[in-house]
Amino acid sequence: MAAWTNLKTLGLVDPLRALEKRNPSYFSRYTGLDDEFGFKLETFARWEPIFRFCYEDYFKVDCRGIENIPESGRAILVGNHSGLLPLDGAMITMAMCNAHNSPRRVRYLVTDWFFTLPRVGEWISETGQVRATLENAQKLLERDELVGVYPEGLRGVGKAFPERYRLLDFHPGFVQLAISTQTPIIPVATVGGDEIFPNFVNVKSIGRLLKMPFFPITPTFPWMPFPHMFIPLPVHWLINVHKPIDLGYPPEKANDRKLVLKIAREIQYDIQRDLNKLLRERKSLFTGWDPDET
Amino acid sequence: MPEFVHTYRNYIKNTRHCDNHFGFDLRRLAGVEPFLHFLYKEWWRVQFTGLDLLPKDGPALIVGNSNGLIPWPAFMLLYALMSQNSPRRLTVVADMDWIEDVRVHSFLVQVGFVPWSSTNLKYLFSKGELVAAFPEGLPATGKPFSERYRVREFDWSRLLPAFEAGVDIYPMATIGCDEALPTLFNAEHLSKLLSLPSFPVTPFFPWFPFPANLGSLPVKWKMTVLKPTAWDDTRGDRDVLVDTARHHTRYIEGQIQAELNRMLRARIKTFI
Repeated sequence: MAAWTNLKTLGLVDPLRALEKRNPSYFSRYTGLDDEFGFKLETFARWEPIFRFCYEDYFKVDCRGIENIPESGRAILVGNHSGLLPLDGAMITMAMCNAHNSPRRVRYLVTDWFFTLPRVGEWISETGQVRATLENAQKLLERDELVGVYPEGLRGVGKAFPERYRLLDFHPGFVQLAISTQTPIIPVATVGGDEIFPNFVNVKSIGRLLKMPFFPITPTFPWMPFPHMFIPLPVHWLINVHKPIDLGYPPEKANDRKLVLKIAREIQYDIQRDLNKLLRERKSLFTGWDPDET
Repeated sequence: MPEFVHTYRNYIKNTRHCDNHFGFDLRRLAGVEPFLHFLYKEWWRVQFTGLDLLPKDGPALIVGNSNGLIPWPAFMLLYALMSQNSPRRLTVVADMDWIEDVRVHSFLVQVGFVPWSSTNLKYLFSKGELVAAFPEGLPATGKPFSERYRVREFDWSRLLPAFEAGVDIYPMATIGCDEALPTLFNAEHLSKLLSLPSFPVTPFFPWFPFPANLGSLPVKWKMTVLKPTAWDDTRGDRDVLVDTARHHTRYIEGQIQAELNRMLRARIKTFI
């Protein structure tokens, strides 16, 4: 079972000092930067051990091909969305922060709904996420940041359990963005995220009442008292980062809707194909992949 | 037979010019027609969309997903094409080398199956036939229930003749086949012993005596034929041809998988 050593740093030391000691290159890269979108290294450093615990001990994430993400320069990460709480984004952020040769932050584009919540919105932008608008994404890419997109959107997070790892059709906006800003696209396939919160039913009427995008029923969710209902199952994860795809079209082509849609579909099919392959190789939910085979 | 001739007058009229080079036999088809009719209309109640997209004449290739040792989706497509308003004969290309029983082999050939080779495919396209292929191949015959409606990788090299001939390729998604015959597990030892490509153990298959072990669950089937994707005609250049074939086979595979996902999401009940 999990080693709890990661959590020891919580509350004992100054989080910034701990991050500086553990991950000097990340610290020196982002310390003292004034970020327009509200990234705060201090908040990130405070929460990082918790997610690192999830990454290393709880979900035991296997990360393949993280070296495909460039050490500098812009890129768009495109993935399959999963798990009712979007932990897949957090896990890729952790992989970029801890497993990469030159750690970088990933700026995820987050839907508006989270920013309507009282404290959550601030917290999300302080840990590096950005409200999803085209202007924000363009600004980030002009600053050569790593932008993460989940083109399935909110519908993808609320997938029911029998539909796990079945992609919804991608919104083609990210291809348009990539062509107009001349950015390579990096597809990322994540296995494990759809099983951490098995979502049996989506009760739409309650969701509408509470102004939530969906209201899931899981084995724990509305039943258990507060912190327990957010405890995920300890599923073994795998994140497979593909090679960057350079589209190689001139920026004028960004308005060619047919072309944009076709490229978006191709990337969607690539990710789905990879998911099918990884699922076939998986031994079981909780033990994961055979390390000898691959 | 007279009844068959009466009901399928159009079918016989439309297919009288098709050649029987590979050994197609109308009598054999007439013999199994009641059985196919029962499966199509009563047992699986197949709901077929997009049949009118298929061309009325001229060569075309239909590519679909399948499971199990018996290619039921192929039979259902065959029946659907036979009983529609403007009927056409369907030729199914399949791997038939492993079938050692002469009776089974000749039955399949008489109904319209053809061994899958590039020569046969080229011949069929030159004769203007409608061909169906299930390019997941033999490894997918033992696909377990946990992998239902997850398409295995298509082998682009086997679809190459279609790209050489410049034929339209229609993706077809079938939902229902993996649940009508749920493969509980693939008994690999038995399959090696009997020299079968796989040995899918279903709730029916090896357990019951002969006719009952071909049984299946009365799942509602849905089949969809999608529009063909256009590609640049590259009949001259060999390297470009191979590249387009690889690329488009992947794309077609993705299209079928995406359509399966969409149909599964839209489905409310499995059996009704």
